[in-house]
Amino acid sequence: MKRIFATYIKEWQLIRRDLGGLALLFLMPVLLITIMALVQDAPFKDYKDLKFEALFLNQDKGKVSQSIKEGLLKSGQFILIESIDQKPLDLNLTRKLVQDGSYKLAIVIPAGTTAEIVNSANQIANEIGKKVGIPGSLPHRESRDSLSIDVMFDPVSKPTFRVAILNAIDKFTTRIQADIVLERIGKLNGGEGEGQDTSFNFEEKLHALSVKEVSSQQQKQKISMMNSVQHNVPAWAIFGMFFMIILICENIINERTQGSWTRLKLIPGSFSHILIGKMLFYVLLGIIQFYLMLMVGVYLMPYIGLPSLHLSETPFLLLIMVWSIAMCATTFGILVGTVFKTTQQALPVAAMSVVILSAVGGVWVPVEVLPSILKNISLISPMRWGLQGINNLLLRESCWQDILQPVSILLGGSVITMVLAWWVENRRKG
Amino acid sequence: MLHVKHLVKQYPNTEHLSVDDLSFSFEAGKIVGLLGPNGAGKTTTISILCGLIKDFNGEVTLLGCNVKTKLQDLLHKISIVPQQIALYPTLSCKENLMYYGRLYNIPSKSLKIMISDYLEQFGLHDHADKQIKNYSGGMKRRANIIASLLNKPELLILDEPTAGVDVQSRSMILQFLKDFNAKGNSVIYTSHLLDEAESICDEVLIIDHGKKVIQGTPQELIAAHQTDNLETLFLKLTGNTVRD
Repeated sequence: MKRIFATYIKEWQLIRRDLGGLALLFLMPVLLITIMALVQDAPFKDYKDLKFEALFLNQDKGKVSQSIKEGLLKSGQFILIESIDQKPLDLNLTRKLVQDGSYKLAIVIPAGTTAEIVNSANQIANEIGKKVGIPGSLPHRESRDSLSIDVMFDPVSKPTFRVAILNAIDKFTTRIQADIVLERIGKLNGGEGEGQDTSFNFEEKLHALSVKEVSSQQQKQKISMMNSVQHNVPAWAIFGMFFMIILICENIINERTQGSWTRLKLIPGSFSHILIGKMLFYVLLGIIQFYLMLMVGVYLMPYIGLPSLHLSETPFLLLIMVWSIAMCATTFGILVGTVFKTTQQALPVAAMSVVILSAVGGVWVPVEVLPSILKNISLISPMRWGLQGINNLLLRESCWQDILQPVSILLGGSVITMVLAWWVENRRKG
Repeated sequence: MLHVKHLVKQYPNTEHLSVDDLSFSFEAGKIVGLLGPNGAGKTTTISILCGLIKDFNGEVTLLGCNVKTKLQDLLHKISIVPQQIALYPTLSCKENLMYYGRLYNIPSKSLKIMISDYLEQFGLHDHADKQIKNYSGGMKRRANIIASLLNKPELLILDEPTAGVDVQSRSMILQFLKDFNAKGNSVIYTSHLLDEAESICDEVLIIDHGKKVIQGTPQELIAAHQTDNLETLFLKLTGNTVRD
């Protein structure tokens, strides 16, 4: 125990004088978490939460197009731009501005839209009136073919963005059309609704059946939504823990090249005490680093306009999960430090392997959106299992069975890594 | 004290033997010089003697302990001063010594007293809290020796302990070795400084190409080969060809 503690103290003395190492351990993950959470904030948000500048070319000028315009503005999703440099938009200018990327989208209401919708609504009202026996008929003509509200998109905009915007506009115009139909039915009898029960709300009744998101978790009322903070804080905190392998392998290689390793091996007693002391230090360092990053998620993120990190309600299970990740990161560092003879060889390999494992492990983007080949490769990334376990605890109502698989895989990986390191070290002794 | 019989060592992926059927023995309480040109097999032999290399043929017994079977017992009695400065550069000398001392399970109080005494003896007391990286070459060598004395070894094995140090530090190190030996302890050391070896060693063993060339007291060997000094004898026996 004394030897383990002595090694722990020695590692602490070494690290506290290594300002670069400390920055790598604590500053880099904070920066990564903050920057990545901000960068990925928009892609993680539902498009309904965002506001878009949209060119609005109204060639109709009728009542319906005015309603569409007011409705779009009222939705809060759009800032409608109808003129550029005080000159009203025309179709060519609108096309040009969207094509060159000055604006992400344009909404064009063609001439005759109001007339067409009213005509269509009159036809529907007449048909309904006929079926329910209401006398009278509203004027109408044959419907025109192919009248549509045109939406132009910046060529570089993502398909998901286009679909979301089209759906939002489609939903909105359908609602306006429904309102007009209701209004025309009211006019069937020739009046403006005189003698009718004005307290009857058609719109409300039409939405008697709605779609609402509810929590899948039995005991929770609150819905834990995956957002930029919820993804990036644990993901980059795990990345930071694995970046610790750079410090570990540098530490081991320096000990070997500077001769301390030789001296340590010639001290009577089990070498495993020294190794345990070293591992204990780095595992604790990793755990502290992770929890500090969680604090950044909880307290710093709201200061930069992002949501606060939702924490686990099973802190003990979270600790076990974090400990498993730290064990895996530490043993991986020991393996890299054992395999390579110089820091010039080891450090690029260590850094690259962490970046690659993080990319396939769902740190950069969730594993779910990776192509199937990368999803399969991700199975070998300890960061995938770490992140899965952490997400189970932070976002799902998880119990110990739910983290059993990731914990077992991470600890199993640690054992395999240590056995490999032991084998390499024994071979090297000659 | 030291018995080496038919020692053979070949490193993996090499064609030649680093140590080739080497046999010798020394009595306890002597300062023994293990001499040879570069690549003669000195460091490999030392590494085998202290148990650092385990994969070898032959038999090695030091202080009554077989290196292969009783290494842990042996490690309590011997210590090695590596050629490299085997200390942590960013730790102070005191921190380094405290760490190694704790690994020997020495109680803190005695350890602190022992370290203070050694620092005084080696002229490092005023620099105890300086980081090793800020030490001069001679200071590093002296600190490196102190780290190897913490377990109070009966046999000290030193690999070129005076390489690259100034005259004062060298003199201090050699005087220490004499004092250490005067207390009944044994010393095996390698060096390329043959005048130093001639002056300090009770006995020398010259090896080349992994084989024993000659063994005896410097005076006997010089007289037997009718040379002026150990260096002339060394060149006569190992040749003038430059070794890499």
